[in-house]
Amino acid sequence: MNAPTSLPLTLGLAPYAGPWTFEQAAHLMRRTTYGPVLAHIKWAVDQGLSATVDKLFEELPQPDLPVNAFYTGDPGVPVGAPWIDATYDNTILNDQASYRFRSLTSWTYGLIWQEGISIREKLTLFWHNHFPVNAVEDPKFLLRYGALLRSYAWGNFRELTKEITVDPSMLRYLNGFQNKKEAPNENYARELLELFTIGKGPQTGPGDYTNYNEQDVQAFARILSGWRDFGLTVESIDGSFGSYFTADRHDDGTKVLSSHFNSEVVTNMGDQEYLHLIDIIFQQDEVARFICRKLYRWFVFYQIDEEVETNVIAPMAQIMLDNDFEIKQALQALLQSEHFFDTAFTGVLIKNPIDFLMSILKTFEVETSTPLSQQYDSWYRIWGFARQEQLSYFEVPEVAGWQAYYREPLYYRNWLNASTLPLRMTHADVFCSTGYFPFQANGQIMRVEVLKFLDTLDNPDDPNAVVDECTRLLFPKPISADRKAALKEILLPGLPDFEWTVEYLAYAANPGNPAVANPIDAKLRALIRAMVSMPDFFLS
Amino acid sequence: MRRRDFLKNIGLGVGGPILLNGFGLSALAKSRLFNAIDDDSDRVLVLIQLNGGNDGLNTLIPLDQYDNLVTVRGNILIPENKIIPLTGTLGLHPKLGGIKAMFDDGKLGLIQSVGYPNQNRSHFRSIEIWASGSPANEYWTTGWAGRYLDKEYPGYPDGYPNTDNPDPFAITMGFLVSETCQGQASNFAITLSDPFSLSNLSEWNTDEYAGTLFGEELAFVRESISLTNQYSEQIHAAATNGSNMVNYPDTTLANQLKNVALLISGGLKTKIYTVSLGGFDTHGDQVLSTDPTAGNHANLLATLSDAIKAFEDDLVALGVDNRVMGMTFSEFGRQIRSNGSYGTDHGTAAPLILFGACADGIILGDNPQIAEDVSVQEGVPMQYDFRDVYGSVLMDWFNVPKAEVKAILYEGFQHIPVTSCPAPDAVHERPYLVAEPIELTSFPNPFTGSTTIRFTSGKEWVRLSVFDAMGQELEVLVNGKFSAGVHEVSFNGRNLPAGNYYLHLKLEGSRQKTERMVRAR
Repeated sequence: MNAPTSLPLTLGLAPYAGPWTFEQAAHLMRRTTYGPVLAHIKWAVDQGLSATVDKLFEELPQPDLPVNAFYTGDPGVPVGAPWIDATYDNTILNDQASYRFRSLTSWTYGLIWQEGISIREKLTLFWHNHFPVNAVEDPKFLLRYGALLRSYAWGNFRELTKEITVDPSMLRYLNGFQNKKEAPNENYARELLELFTIGKGPQTGPGDYTNYNEQDVQAFARILSGWRDFGLTVESIDGSFGSYFTADRHDDGTKVLSSHFNSEVVTNMGDQEYLHLIDIIFQQDEVARFICRKLYRWFVFYQIDEEVETNVIAPMAQIMLDNDFEIKQALQALLQSEHFFDTAFTGVLIKNPIDFLMSILKTFEVETSTPLSQQYDSWYRIWGFARQEQLSYFEVPEVAGWQAYYREPLYYRNWLNASTLPLRMTHADVFCSTGYFPFQANGQIMRVEVLKFLDTLDNPDDPNAVVDECTRLLFPKPISADRKAALKEILLPGLPDFEWTVEYLAYAANPGNPAVANPIDAKLRALIRAMVSMPDFFLS
Repeated sequence: MRRRDFLKNIGLGVGGPILLNGFGLSALAKSRLFNAIDDDSDRVLVLIQLNGGNDGLNTLIPLDQYDNLVTVRGNILIPENKIIPLTGTLGLHPKLGGIKAMFDDGKLGLIQSVGYPNQNRSHFRSIEIWASGSPANEYWTTGWAGRYLDKEYPGYPDGYPNTDNPDPFAITMGFLVSETCQGQASNFAITLSDPFSLSNLSEWNTDEYAGTLFGEELAFVRESISLTNQYSEQIHAAATNGSNMVNYPDTTLANQLKNVALLISGGLKTKIYTVSLGGFDTHGDQVLSTDPTAGNHANLLATLSDAIKAFEDDLVALGVDNRVMGMTFSEFGRQIRSNGSYGTDHGTAAPLILFGACADGIILGDNPQIAEDVSVQEGVPMQYDFRDVYGSVLMDWFNVPKAEVKAILYEGFQHIPVTSCPAPDAVHERPYLVAEPIELTSFPNPFTGSTTIRFTSGKEWVRLSVFDAMGQELEVLVNGKFSAGVHEVSFNGRNLPAGNYYLHLKLEGSRQKTERMVRAR
């Protein structure tokens, strides 16, 4: 369990020019989408790296709004209708907030489930981790917040920072709505600097850090004062909500920033002042390096040594600066670099709970119910499982995000411990054996159908090929001959290879006959259950 | 005979708590007479982390500062008649009735103004500092308890569990591993949510990638599976064998402590348990605008106090209370001035609670001095370095030699009396039998240029430094061996901005003192 003592010598950001096979395509799809899905990997192999990356970043419309899936007691929102513009009624406030939150989380998992070949959902979660919120009471606030992140998935970092600063959920979460002239609240100001844009850097003196000082925190709080959200739950009488600026709560005095920001003097600019402030922060090149390190930790590996800093982070940040803080070009360069495809970095990330669950559900193309309420309940069940495994969408535990993405020295290893490991094992095993019903047993069971999966393999009649094809799909790297033999022994206990072929051909000739289908199902299911409990399956 | 009874019999314990200004009863307590524990290896430490930064001034309230508290935090201050009196000059938040009862019962102690030099007000960073025990400007990747366990059990996890050590060394209740127990090679804490669930995960050999990054991560997963399985059986056996004797409140914290008591009573040899209670980051709505005794902070303190009280009662009923010591900690206190949102922002030092039979009557430290002109961002200045608290727990509770404590924490470590029944071999080199007030003054005060600082010491090591109102250590004025007597040093504050500054004097034998001085305009 030793932490790696040193990183291997690594390649840089130069374009990858090596072989393009299933292995590289699967790596790219694992890191940029959930699952992955076999058909998507094959499509990528066929199309090539550059076309696949273009596809991952293809502009998509904003998804349809989440709807009321089941609750019949809301006078303004019939089942099947969106609730974003609806008001709340004091007498049923809890019911309304609860069904809408359930709708929001279910719908979010639906988007992940149905993402296709797109990096958008993984980047949306990246921003959720970067600009976190928690305990925001009104689902419409969260829906708007999530839509903002999604619309900026690979958009302009500076402009996203401007929008999130006055986003109603963020004003609530970090007390911006309480920040006023007479009583500055520095919560958002501090995190804007420390966690969202530039980072502290090592401390250099009393109250002074490499990139800013305590004087800046105070000045920032004053500059940001005066913004409030409106329309939270019953406060909205017509369904409208958002944020607004109140001049008499804004500190209109002169603010002087430290030498870290060229001792800039900010005079009163009213509701434009926060935009000016963010432009000032983004004049520092460190902002680009700061966000590139985070993208690197998200997509490549959690450790960054000096070599990676020089050969990957610095050129990536330069691309970002050359593109005025657009995320797209810098991230595309990373995902097409020889560094990204360096085999030293394949399989080195422990999957987060969504990744883990989706690498069962999406990879085996588990089907969900189609009627609306059952469909939503299927997705809601997955939200609940991920929550048990300690990733709860819309409930980020700390303002720094999930520990896996910042807490040294364990980083991604924080996902696994004596509580979450057995939970993951149980979830995986039950999906691959008896299956789970959707939330409240509403609808069709969600279960891995191994025979349907077998049909998607290239050589289902060859037991060695079955093990190999499962391995390359489920695991990031090949396994030893010993483990392969052990797996084949599970598939075909004590029998020669040809027996599988015989049994398989009998099944293929007559798939509706339980006498030949059931034994194949049982054997293959045993193999899959063993594989999803192996350490390799936890890695991406 | 219980220590408290003994004190009463010899006329030292005079009914009320034994108040100590900067030193404890270590000399008396050192006697075997007070050491109720047969085998120190059975000792258990329970750490309760208060996530978010607890507002110490609304927890343990300095009554002698009440008038100025009204000025600087009137909108959140507990009305004087609602405060639970603890001593003549200290009171408790009205929701801390359980804590008051434990104190009266000789099962709880308090240390005022615990923090560290160069306070970092980021949650993220300050939690790391508290967990690692590092100086504020160094980045250590191991936890303080992890380093202690590393010394005791070198090589872990290779070769563990084994016949001598079948049980996990540390357990974190909940789902997130405690950084406090991070060792060199591995985290000593396993997480536990349900002690009755048995884990039987399949284990695979994945050696083929040894020596690569992928191999390291594979090995981590594989060993996590293996340890989970092995420790799960031990925990399950202890849970089945153990019991609880009292009712607990229905809160997550109380349930976690209930499971700790269950496992201790069931014979599990785990040395350190960590539990946590979140929500202390009370920037807004710390109290209700209509009632400062109610609201988020009141609910949190009630949860804490009621859970600790039930836990201690259970330990007593189970007959294991002498073996268990508890301690709270939080990443920082909050600012002295409240904000306009009925809340408080990130501050500096805060009080820390010790509990258990061996925390009897300890109150260390002076009341924070609250100035009515305290600046907006000012926090409560540190009197005790948290590493001295940790190190003293290691010395007194786990019998770790002082030299080793210094290696685990820091060279400047000083012992302070955190327990009334130290481990048998814990020797304190400089016992103080009488409460001598520590003299520390400066004149002129307020000052504009040079000021003279006067202090009295024995023949001993002295460290004297100046802090600003943000908790940053500006200058170390004295750090060396002094002869006994009155000493003076001068300090030039001409270039300092106007405001409050704090002198921090550290003598041997756990005597520390903080004194305010003001740079005038």
